[in-house]
Amino acid sequence: MTPLKGTTHERPLPRKPHQFCLCRRDRHLTSDFDVVDLLHTLVAQCVDILDTDAGGLMLVDPSGSLQLMASTSEAADLVEVMQLNADSGPCIQCFATGVAVSVADISATEEWPVFQRTALLNGFNSAYSIPMKLRGQIIGTMNLFGVKPGALSERDAAVAQALADVATISILQERLTRESTILAEQLHRALDSRILVEQAKGVIAQSMGIDMDQAFDILRSYARNNNVTIRSVAEGISDRVIPAQRVAADAGHAS
Amino acid sequence: MSARELCAPFITGLFVDGASISVFDFAGRQSTVCATDGLAARADSLQFELGEGPHWEALATGYPVLCPNNRDSSRSAWPMFATTAQGLGIAAVFAFPMKIGAAIVGVVDLLCITPRRLDPHHVSLAASMAHRTATAAVRLATRLADDATSVEYEMAPALRREVHQATGMIQAQLNSTTTEALARLRGHAFALGAPVSTVAYAVVHGRLDFSTLPE
Repeated sequence: MTPLKGTTHERPLPRKPHQFCLCRRDRHLTSDFDVVDLLHTLVAQCVDILDTDAGGLMLVDPSGSLQLMASTSEAADLVEVMQLNADSGPCIQCFATGVAVSVADISATEEWPVFQRTALLNGFNSAYSIPMKLRGQIIGTMNLFGVKPGALSERDAAVAQALADVATISILQERLTRESTILAEQLHRALDSRILVEQAKGVIAQSMGIDMDQAFDILRSYARNNNVTIRSVAEGISDRVIPAQRVAADAGHAS
Repeated sequence: MSARELCAPFITGLFVDGASISVFDFAGRQSTVCATDGLAARADSLQFELGEGPHWEALATGYPVLCPNNRDSSRSAWPMFATTAQGLGIAAVFAFPMKIGAAIVGVVDLLCITPRRLDPHHVSLAASMAHRTATAAVRLATRLADDATSVEYEMAPALRREVHQATGMIQAQLNSTTTEALARLRGHAFALGAPVSTVAYAVVHGRLDFSTLPE
């Protein structure tokens, strides 16, 4: 997947019970959707359910570096980007270790000065970072920020991990579905074009009394001279809209 | 990823004697991207011509098809293929569907020259190898079809282009539509009891002209 740098911002969701969250996700999985939109929705719902104030989600790109995919506010966006730039912070540590990182009081931390400064400046006093894992591989982190200091309860931490797990599965399913659709379409188009071209070559070869390679050259020069695709010329010949003789005459071959 | 690299692991990993890989688009068009040897290529062509065999069953059902001994062909769902394959010296055949997500995109066909029962371990190994090969096989078939200069040969007949070239030639010979031309080509092969590819070869090489044939 191409890393989608950039974020979707502030689209506050009304406070809803858990069921709403599952329905939303199901709808997303069965219809055509944008992955950034899905990620934004997941983070926003997580923030909402766990009663935190903001959140962000980072995913690893094919080159192995983290990219910020979604955040629920400008403030969260800044804190996430600063961590990525400094390559340091609870989210980075969570990604590196695969273990959730809980920061109950940001002002009391010492290990991530850049993160600490940015978080405090943006009004956050607590943070919670959850790994997104699949079969031992860490694909990103989901991160929550609170205005008040305090740690997530054990129960909330378990809920957060469950939501991150669902997010992971959704992302992978989306990637897989999208890739298989694109591949199937490319294959279909390629086979279809190829067959049309071979048929058209047969028509030209027979009509002109030439071989298949010469027939293809004629097809190609006609396409070039007329600024159209080889496929469309082939289709025209197969459908008998373009007579083979015209194609040959245009390409400088008289029958 | 070359055709050879796709096919070879099935031979070395499963101790079978031949393998071929073909993919299908959603209109049912087949492209055979590789076969390990002449016999595997023959088995693939045979199923392509007959329209029956483990290959088609795997494609239709999405499940592996295991036939440890072609001699049990009396109760076979593909009697013509089983008998002809036996005549070619093929004793056992297996077919594993290739899937991307839930979509079946092709089949890996395996054969043995002696009767062979695949144990459950090898069945699951073959199934997972087929699964892992799917994307690469689709990409390879797409690339072969996209490249106007790619060569088709016995071990990688791909789209069997001569059939389509012959169709175009017959279309010009009869001044007919493409569909009519293909039907005439198939009908003639059926009447002769010859493979479509053989008739197509004769047409492309100027040895058969449909305009001089009786209707």
